[in-house]
Amino acid sequence: MRRVDALFEPVVGEWKRNSPRLATVRRILTLIFSAVFLVVGLVLALLLPDDLWWIGAIVAAIASAGAVWGWIWAGRNQRSWGYAENADDLLVTSGVMFKRLVAIPYGRMQYVDVEAGPLARAYGIATVTLHTASPETAANIPGLAADQATALRNRLTELGESHGAGV
Amino acid sequence: MAPVSDSSPAVSEAVGLRTHPLTGVVQGALWAAAAVFGLFTSMFNGDGWQGLNPVLTGLILLIGGLLIGMGVGFLTWMFTRYVIDGTELRINSGIITKSSRRIPYERIQSVDIAEPLVARILGLAELRIEMAGGKNSRTSLRFLKVADAGSLRRVLLDRAHGQTAAEEALDEQRSIITVVPPMRIIIGTLLSLDFLFAALGTVAVLIAALWFDNVIAFIGGIIPLASWLVQIVGQRVIQQWDFTLSRGERGLRIERGLLSRTSQTIPYDRVQGIAIKEPLVWRRLGWQRLEVDVAGYASQGGESEGNNANSTLLPISDAPLANAIIAELLPGADPAIGNRTYASPRSWWFAPIGFRYRWVAANDSTFVASEGWIQRTTSIIPHHKTQSVELSQGPLQRRLGLATVEVHSPKGPVDADGRNLPADAARATMLAQLDRAREARS
Repeated sequence: MRRVDALFEPVVGEWKRNSPRLATVRRILTLIFSAVFLVVGLVLALLLPDDLWWIGAIVAAIASAGAVWGWIWAGRNQRSWGYAENADDLLVTSGVMFKRLVAIPYGRMQYVDVEAGPLARAYGIATVTLHTASPETAANIPGLAADQATALRNRLTELGESHGAGV
Repeated sequence: MAPVSDSSPAVSEAVGLRTHPLTGVVQGALWAAAAVFGLFTSMFNGDGWQGLNPVLTGLILLIGGLLIGMGVGFLTWMFTRYVIDGTELRINSGIITKSSRRIPYERIQSVDIAEPLVARILGLAELRIEMAGGKNSRTSLRFLKVADAGSLRRVLLDRAHGQTAAEEALDEQRSIITVVPPMRIIIGTLLSLDFLFAALGTVAVLIAALWFDNVIAFIGGIIPLASWLVQIVGQRVIQQWDFTLSRGERGLRIERGLLSRTSQTIPYDRVQGIAIKEPLVWRRLGWQRLEVDVAGYASQGGESEGNNANSTLLPISDAPLANAIIAELLPGADPAIGNRTYASPRSWWFAPIGFRYRWVAANDSTFVASEGWIQRTTSIIPHHKTQSVELSQGPLQRRLGLATVEVHSPKGPVDADGRNLPADAARATMLAQLDRAREARS
């Protein structure tokens, strides 16, 4: 375990973490989604003829299992996110099973997006996404507190301009 | 020449210039061809067109496509004007919804000239301007006289490099590096694996169909295989016919095509990376194919990434010539680089044979990654074009102490991934690459 951690440590300093409210938002979404499926399953179990009621039961069971899994996943995934602003590049890490660490030199950033869905806005969090000329970069940091996200975006835009190196 | 040389900039900036009046005719012919082609494809796929007389329907579609296409093309032409001013190229178009596209010169990645068959007969050409980034990064001006397209390209490329019109005349001194004879391309294609596979598959299905005397059931198998075959021949042979690579002031120029001619310019400083592809049989004969990453090229290709005829730098060549061209585009690059980090033997589980052929290496100017034993692909990315660097690890890799390092480049044939390296080496590679990229930028 220790070895694995060392592999995905930042080069210098500590990871900055995102907000635990990301887990809350994702749990709410998971619960809504599972609840819909649970209701569908229960209705099926009641309405289907006697020898087919188990189809509804399976749907309901999958919905419940999905809710439990989503609850646990949301917490673990939220804790796995981290970013670090180094002197020349931004580092972003994520993932529990599939770990990922991506480093983007500031000069390579084409633009930075901040976006937040309705539920995320209600909880005051937003996602910051960095784009380079390469689609593989796919560096997004979800669940930042809204003011933190805006500040990061502004900082990154400034850094991008001062380090700007074209395409 | 008249529309391009900005002898009267005041006039051209106010109103803008029009493309060639025959644009509508070409557009109509292209639409008619597309309509007929679409009809035949769907008939062969058996989409319920059997009840129709193919000749009659084809004729109706041909004439209909021609007339509608010509009408639309003419209207589009009427309402399209382009303006070349001091800082940007502007294209105003749209009949009902007006749109104005601005192309700042410094964002131009490359300018190509394409001559589809019909346009070529009429002496017209399409000018394609590639910009960096995402969708719709290509802008087309269709259609111009070939000479005008050529001089407009020169103007745009000069401005893209921050030069004024006065220095224009210097450019057209080109020296031909190589002409790839069509025979060589045909032989190379015949010996490439996917062609062999498609051809053998087609023959096998054909024999099976005759043997079991059940043609209908096998139509479903033949059509995808045969269209694959046609696609391979189209992309590798017809589009690469008379492939001419020449050297100019600011970059390489490629001219190619049997029916439709295309003329591409690859400026030296816009090359994001080069991929060397060596299929199994070719390797024995010492042949290689070179593909190049230029921002904007691949975003047009859609699904067929890497198969894009646009990104071919050299369809087939011997190693010495290929190396010379790589050295010219990416000075300091060395495909036979030493000091390689190989994939860990522990990863044989993921690729029982292939793991021996996976390695990454770097020297002062470029990062090199290679993989594949059936078709070997060696990707070269210059340090100063490194977009971002990624380290990743899945659960199985963690168990085995492996990790993957990727150096990202814009979408295209170049994919510099070092998969399943020993975890420590992967992290070291990533950090070293960040340092090298930083040094190369400054």
